[in-house]
Amino acid sequence: MKKPGILVLCGGRFALPAIQQLAIEGYVSGIVIGKGEASVVDLLEQQCGEANIPFRSIARSSQVEESLNELIEELQPDAVFSICFPFLVPEEVLAYDPNKFINFHTGPLPGYRGPMPIFEVLRRNEPETELSIHFMEADFDEGDIIFSEKISIDPDETFGSLAFKLSLRTALAAQNMAEMIEFGSTIPRQPQNNIVSRYFEKPEKEDTFVRWNRMFGEEIVQLIRSCNPWNTGADAVLGNKLIKIVEAELLDEVHQQLPGSVIGVSENGFIHVACLDYKQLVIKIISCDLGIISAGQYARKEKFIPITT
Amino acid sequence: MQTIGFLLPRSTYYTGISFDLFDGLTSSLSSLGRNDIRIVTENIGFGSDKQLCYKAAEQLLMHEQAQVVFAYIGHRMAQVLRPLFTAANRLLIVLDAGAHLPQEWPSSPHIFYHSLNNALGSWLSSNMAVRDGYSNGGMVTGYYDGGYLQTIGAYNGYLEAGGTIRFNLATGYRKEDFSMQPLKEQFQHSGNDCLISIFSGDYVQWFFKDLQQHFPDQHLPVYLPPFALEESMLKEAVYPGDKVSGVASWSVTLKNEQNALFTEKIQSAGREPNLFSLLGWEAGILADFLTKELQQQPNCKQAGEKLSQFSFESPRGTVVFDKETNSSIAPLYEAKIENDGTGHCAVKIVAEINDVVGAYESLRSQPIEESVSGWFNSYTCI
Repeated sequence: MKKPGILVLCGGRFALPAIQQLAIEGYVSGIVIGKGEASVVDLLEQQCGEANIPFRSIARSSQVEESLNELIEELQPDAVFSICFPFLVPEEVLAYDPNKFINFHTGPLPGYRGPMPIFEVLRRNEPETELSIHFMEADFDEGDIIFSEKISIDPDETFGSLAFKLSLRTALAAQNMAEMIEFGSTIPRQPQNNIVSRYFEKPEKEDTFVRWNRMFGEEIVQLIRSCNPWNTGADAVLGNKLIKIVEAELLDEVHQQLPGSVIGVSENGFIHVACLDYKQLVIKIISCDLGIISAGQYARKEKFIPITT
Repeated sequence: MQTIGFLLPRSTYYTGISFDLFDGLTSSLSSLGRNDIRIVTENIGFGSDKQLCYKAAEQLLMHEQAQVVFAYIGHRMAQVLRPLFTAANRLLIVLDAGAHLPQEWPSSPHIFYHSLNNALGSWLSSNMAVRDGYSNGGMVTGYYDGGYLQTIGAYNGYLEAGGTIRFNLATGYRKEDFSMQPLKEQFQHSGNDCLISIFSGDYVQWFFKDLQQHFPDQHLPVYLPPFALEESMLKEAVYPGDKVSGVASWSVTLKNEQNALFTEKIQSAGREPNLFSLLGWEAGILADFLTKELQQQPNCKQAGEKLSQFSFESPRGTVVFDKETNSSIAPLYEAKIENDGTGHCAVKIVAEINDVVGAYESLRSQPIEESVSGWFNSYTCI
């Protein structure tokens, strides 16, 4: 029996394990990358060339409809998998067969629609997230759910570590989905409950900014983790200067200072900052004009005073 | 009437495997007074054909409306079925030989592994070899048995206990390719103390025969995993010497109330109890529990959550579930091979092993990096 041919739409390195898995199993009939970074585009182009798999790189949304229609016409795929593809797939393309377009969304649905659910679940300190596999519709992240998989979030999880976990799980789920298409007589589907749906836009500067006067310590730590590494860290003002906090933890120790003030530098070179809830943020790594440096280096440059016991 | 499904395999060396599994299940349900449960079966061959297994599972879920499906399959095949059970919100209970490692695949709230713990037994068996004073070992397995990650269990168990593996021997798949001849040279030159072995079914018989042929006067210390101590196969195996021991999952000779009931019921049905009828028997206990849960609250995911906290008395002792991996852990036993008086083998249970749960946690925390098993089939089903 002939294996189903799958056209994979992707956005970058997140999809590489899934593409590799699908390719090993002989499912990949074509690959399209949208807004991909040059190194990933080159890698995929080279590997597709060697394996004789059609490949397209799309830089702008205006090219999506024509490029996809042309490739779909050529390949007649049995399914189209979208794995972090950055563009909306137009209705004119979905018209090929809406039951053949399947999206792998890296967050729970319908509660975490939008382009960066990993950031949103981490920022909100969720204990777990989901990989949601669903049919595609004209709007982002809508369409019936086929299945979803829970993924636990570790206490010190960062955006990078969670994205890595999800990337590996997506590889397994992509293979599962391909097997479901190959062996199943029908694809199960469950409508999304639109009443409880939420859509989160791509985070902007205001979303990644530490507000010392409004955010509790735990919220700040979660924000820092959710910004590492894609935004390098959480944006913050420290001692009147704009920096990014890359890594920090919370110390449950009372202080008498205003939120955002530097309490001092500990013996091991960490910068302690006052939080709104009387806890202390212990900063370990900072990104600033000098580059990504240890808190100790930054403290010396800024001449922060040591903590006296 | 509630319906449960059963995906039944076949095996060329355990020819009665599906009857054993099924009779175990029906005898168990009958002894629990649960004649109200409808059982629908599907044949899945050797458990290696994805399409056959998928279609059979789909049939049970969609057409027969089974809420819970029991299946004697491997972890890889369970992963193929995972999205189907997740999407349908039904429970798949894998009756698991335990030849794979629990950390090989992510756990799912819709899949539980009820296990005979062969990899864990391999880990404990090689621990035991070092404890017995044999700290230089050779690892001996075959093309088939060695293809499961239980080999990592045996290998790492030996290393962790302080042993050193001096050589590895993986022998052939077919009888004509199966040979222990290379061991002669190894034992002449390297001064190995013992053999850490992983075999099952016919291979155990061939292994013992070859040991007797090549080492007629030298009784090699050999350590075995649970499936090599399967009594129905050992009855036909030549006795290889008095230094053969290992870790058993179960024995017909275990003295407890549940084992007495189990062996009596299976024997009265005209069959000999074995590891597969034991799995079927225990599946009956799980079916009883799950169908009662589902009567109260018809949500399989919630019933699964209850199952992860469930423990029960089985013919091999108290069985519990590990919440991290949704796998069952049962008592394991130090065992020794004895001459049954006819030149063949019998199993003597020496003692129950302490802290099997702790050993399981050590095993499942072993890094497996990128090791994966290529075998799709149900263990022993070739």
